[in-house]
Amino acid sequence: MKLWRRKRKGTRRGLITDFMPPEGVPLIFQVAPLGARAMAQTIDLLLTLAFAASFVGLLALSLNAPWALLQTLGALIFFAIRTPYYVITELLWQGRTLGKSITGLRVISADGRSLGAKAIAIRNLMKEAEVFTPLTLLAVAQDLSPFWRIVTVVWLGCIIAVPLLSPKRQRIGDIAADTVVIAEPKALLLPDLAAAPVEAAAERFPFLPHNLEHYGVYELQTLEGLLHAPPTVSHAAAERRAQTLASVVEMIRRKIDYAEAVPQHEHDAFLKAFYVAQRRHLEQRQLMGERRADKFHKQTPAVSGTEPS
Amino acid sequence: MDGAEEGMIRSARFRAEREGDWRRLEALVTTVDKRGLRALSFEDAEALATLYRRAVNSLAVAREISLDRSLLTYLEVLCARAYLAVYAPTESLGGLFRRFFQLSAPAAVRRCWAEILVAALALLLGGLTGYALFFENPSWFDVIVPRDFGDPRGPEATREDLLGVIYDKNETTLDALGAFASYLFSNNARIAIFAFALGAFGGLPTFPLVFYNGTIIGLFAALHVDRGVGLDLFGWLSIHGVTELGAVVLAAGAGLSLGRAVLFPGRLRRADALRAAAGDAVKVALVAALMLVAAALLEGFGRQLITDTTTRILIGWGVGALWLIWSMGGRKR
Repeated sequence: MKLWRRKRKGTRRGLITDFMPPEGVPLIFQVAPLGARAMAQTIDLLLTLAFAASFVGLLALSLNAPWALLQTLGALIFFAIRTPYYVITELLWQGRTLGKSITGLRVISADGRSLGAKAIAIRNLMKEAEVFTPLTLLAVAQDLSPFWRIVTVVWLGCIIAVPLLSPKRQRIGDIAADTVVIAEPKALLLPDLAAAPVEAAAERFPFLPHNLEHYGVYELQTLEGLLHAPPTVSHAAAERRAQTLASVVEMIRRKIDYAEAVPQHEHDAFLKAFYVAQRRHLEQRQLMGERRADKFHKQTPAVSGTEPS
Repeated sequence: MDGAEEGMIRSARFRAEREGDWRRLEALVTTVDKRGLRALSFEDAEALATLYRRAVNSLAVAREISLDRSLLTYLEVLCARAYLAVYAPTESLGGLFRRFFQLSAPAAVRRCWAEILVAALALLLGGLTGYALFFENPSWFDVIVPRDFGDPRGPEATREDLLGVIYDKNETTLDALGAFASYLFSNNARIAIFAFALGAFGGLPTFPLVFYNGTIIGLFAALHVDRGVGLDLFGWLSIHGVTELGAVVLAAGAGLSLGRAVLFPGRLRRADALRAAAGDAVKVALVAALMLVAAALLEGFGRQLITDTTTRILIGWGVGALWLIWSMGGRKR
């Protein structure tokens, strides 16, 4: 049946790649890790439980009611507040409950449109069957007949299996409401290495076309990562970095056949100049339709997104 | 600046020209993240939309022309964050409730009329069956009805036992509270929940569940009629039962509409048909939940305070009529 067929499409290494907003440019989101989701769920559960418990505590102080009645009332209050809590918080805080905003998660609509009240209601009402009922059954497991114990185990197995098998880690409620839980995107804009005045460096280290034929995008971006490394604090770290730069410079010089030796104090400048020249070269090639992925000259399709790290 | 830009490579120039816009967008998005869309002034909200579209444009271009990974990563994330800010849910709670109760819920109930009718028929058939079974052989009662320990109502009960339950009075509010609380976990509420939730399995479990519930009521009715207290039972059941059984029927109807989507998806894929039916089904189920709470209030408080049969019947059916009128309202003209 089509309802239960597994689909692997739409994700790559924990990223959602088929998300198309109305603007028509695909955006990339990171699927929320299951551990973080379990954490968020636990926080939310504890919060609502604490609320119900404090309510019952107040009642107990003011009413002098028997324990059994208090228990029933507590269960009732918990029942009455839990689903509204999720619906209202996700509606007011843009798809985040308290637990989700602590763990940096967020609910979005999988079809690229705005997350609607209906989707929020559906995914959280399903929580009743997916989370609360099995948890309740677990809590009273000792008093259950063998039949109901088997039912509980099978139920729990299915509940856990669905997000594990689903490529976007959707639980049943997510599938019904067509929503995905994502990790909140975060990133800094690092300075552009090619933005600094490059003329002088280009004159100091002239690279010829045959120097630039060796490397591809992968090596270029690895070099970028190396050059973006945060400033070192300790003397030993500075020493290590100088050694790394020296060996990288040697390797590049040998590979690209760059004759002139580079003195130690110019290692950084050399690498920056090489980065700019190599990037200019590769970008020009890419504009002509030739995208070189790495030094093995692997060709990749021109359109591909990079991933937020 | 011009001199510096001359010598820059294309993608660096591209970035230098647009970086200011991105920074501004980032600031706006951070505001929305922290304080919501409402915190923006009119100009800012307008700028957010424009800057977002511009940033998405830049992203599309940068993916083609730039190999600067820090730029690509940043733009990907900025666009994703801006998307989340621009397309954040904007509905207000008050508006949501008003729309639900005035328009969408009654309309959903009306759209599910056929399924609700089937569920009501199942309940009625069950009731008739139970009634007939009792007069054939009263021991059916013990076979079918789950009895709590100490409940005097059974085939061997006397007229006085039955009347005792029907006109039982709770002494304190505490008792009423207890009755209210225990109610929600009572038989009918459970059946309503299961009838809805199991509807997705082709609606097959829903029908027997409702039928079974009807059978129990039929057996009860037959027992009381047999002892000559039929009218008293009618009053006792009416005050909350009209609402409560209405809720069971609505929940079952919602479950059946899910079942219909799974069994007869038409030209849609099953998952899509289920999703399409879920909208109405969830609304109807929410109405049913609301009716269950109302029935709990009527049972916990109303039934104990009002012991006159006529008043009980009037209140019960009056409330039932109100539900009916409400479900007929809210049409768009």
